[in-house]
Amino acid sequence: MEEEILKLLIQLLLITLIIIYGAIAYTMLYRKWRTSRLKIIESTFAKICSLFLYPNPNLEPNLIEIQRELKSVGIVPSKPRNVQYLIDLMIRTQRSILGVNYIKLKTLFTQIPPYGASASKLNSKKWYIKARGIREIYEMDQSQYTRDLIKLRNSDNIYVRREAQIGIVIFLGWKSLRFLPYLKRQMTLWQQIKIVEKLYDLYPVPDLNHLRRAYNSDRPYANELIMRIIRKFHLTEDIAYIIQFIDNPKFETREAAIYCISSFLLDEDQIGEIKEKFYNISNTEQQLMLLKYFQRISMEIDLPFYKDLLYNGNDSIKLSTADILWSNGYKEEVQDYYYQQYTQKANSDFISV
Amino acid sequence: MRKALVIQEDLIILKILERLVILNQYDCRAIRSINDLDIEDQSENFDIIISDILFDGIAPLDFVFQIQEIILHKSLIIVTNMGQKKIEKEILASKNVSGFFPIPLDMDHIQKLIA
Repeated sequence: MEEEILKLLIQLLLITLIIIYGAIAYTMLYRKWRTSRLKIIESTFAKICSLFLYPNPNLEPNLIEIQRELKSVGIVPSKPRNVQYLIDLMIRTQRSILGVNYIKLKTLFTQIPPYGASASKLNSKKWYIKARGIREIYEMDQSQYTRDLIKLRNSDNIYVRREAQIGIVIFLGWKSLRFLPYLKRQMTLWQQIKIVEKLYDLYPVPDLNHLRRAYNSDRPYANELIMRIIRKFHLTEDIAYIIQFIDNPKFETREAAIYCISSFLLDEDQIGEIKEKFYNISNTEQQLMLLKYFQRISMEIDLPFYKDLLYNGNDSIKLSTADILWSNGYKEEVQDYYYQQYTQKANSDFISV
Repeated sequence: MRKALVIQEDLIILKILERLVILNQYDCRAIRSINDLDIEDQSENFDIIISDILFDGIAPLDFVFQIQEIILHKSLIIVTNMGQKKIEKEILASKNVSGFFPIPLDMDHIQKLIA
């Protein structure tokens, strides 16, 4: 009996081993085969691109021939992984080439399969497929899908709407400010920075009409976004927009306003306006940042303003003001304040006795 | 016929450059890495080399100097993904190259150099 069990166990073990070795062999062979397939696709695609960009003299590139060639290496709708690989290759190529060839490639990519493969991803229920589809569309500059991207700008999923917003900026440029300041959901700081950078890279000449129309938006993220745009494009004539948010009740909006204003040089009136707002700021750190900024951009010291702060501010403000006055040659004022504290203290001691 | 050597790891860029060079009446040898260089290449005198600078086991700047010694050529053009300003400055300062093009690039600039 025991012998039989033992035999059975050995047989089981042997079968398991055979299955495992078989599986290993299969994966190895499959991988080898798959890599060679991908290599074939890559080299075919490379040949197609190079011949399309630099055809033989007197020979027009034949699109039907190209489509046939791609089909023969396995670019067919029934093999989505091959199609995806081709899309990745297209994106890689589009990213590496500039100038006339870029435009030529763009035309090529609209006319070979897998045209529509990226666009059909937009209908997927899974967010990562949707986001990937959007990314492919804007990486390959397929602007005919702009409308579909606009529809996705308020998507529930943060990644889908982020990609859609970036796509809108890439295709519409300054016109995208017709949508971006009126989104249903908040926009993160990172997304704001990405949008401003994309705008700056692709559309470096500001279109003030579209920008100024967006000033009406009352959404906090939109205010921050517009301030960052004003800063990035150095729109000195629109500084008033930033100044109005210096004493905004929201911490983040104030923070953005102070950050953005710091890269401008202001005239006396504008500085005066900020100094009036200075007292409304509830956060000491932000006040200190503004003080540093004043010191950096002012040629002369505004003595009444600083003296007021020296006598009426809180301890950090007092210290910083004293520092500014002292380093600008107003030692007497600081000394006066210093001694005046003692007389005050002496008086209060006297009273308490 | 003039002779050209193109070394690029990215197959697509390699093929496009190869076509560009051939259309400009060059006899072109296109390879993907410096490991593919053979002994015959060393005895050739190339009119032009279009190469990457990022290869296994050799620093970009060293490569620029070494290729000078190993393979005879008249001019060297760099096309690379490693297009940082610092590298570009160092390589152009070495005065061994006639052009430095970070990817993404406009092929027309290369065409002007090799025409």
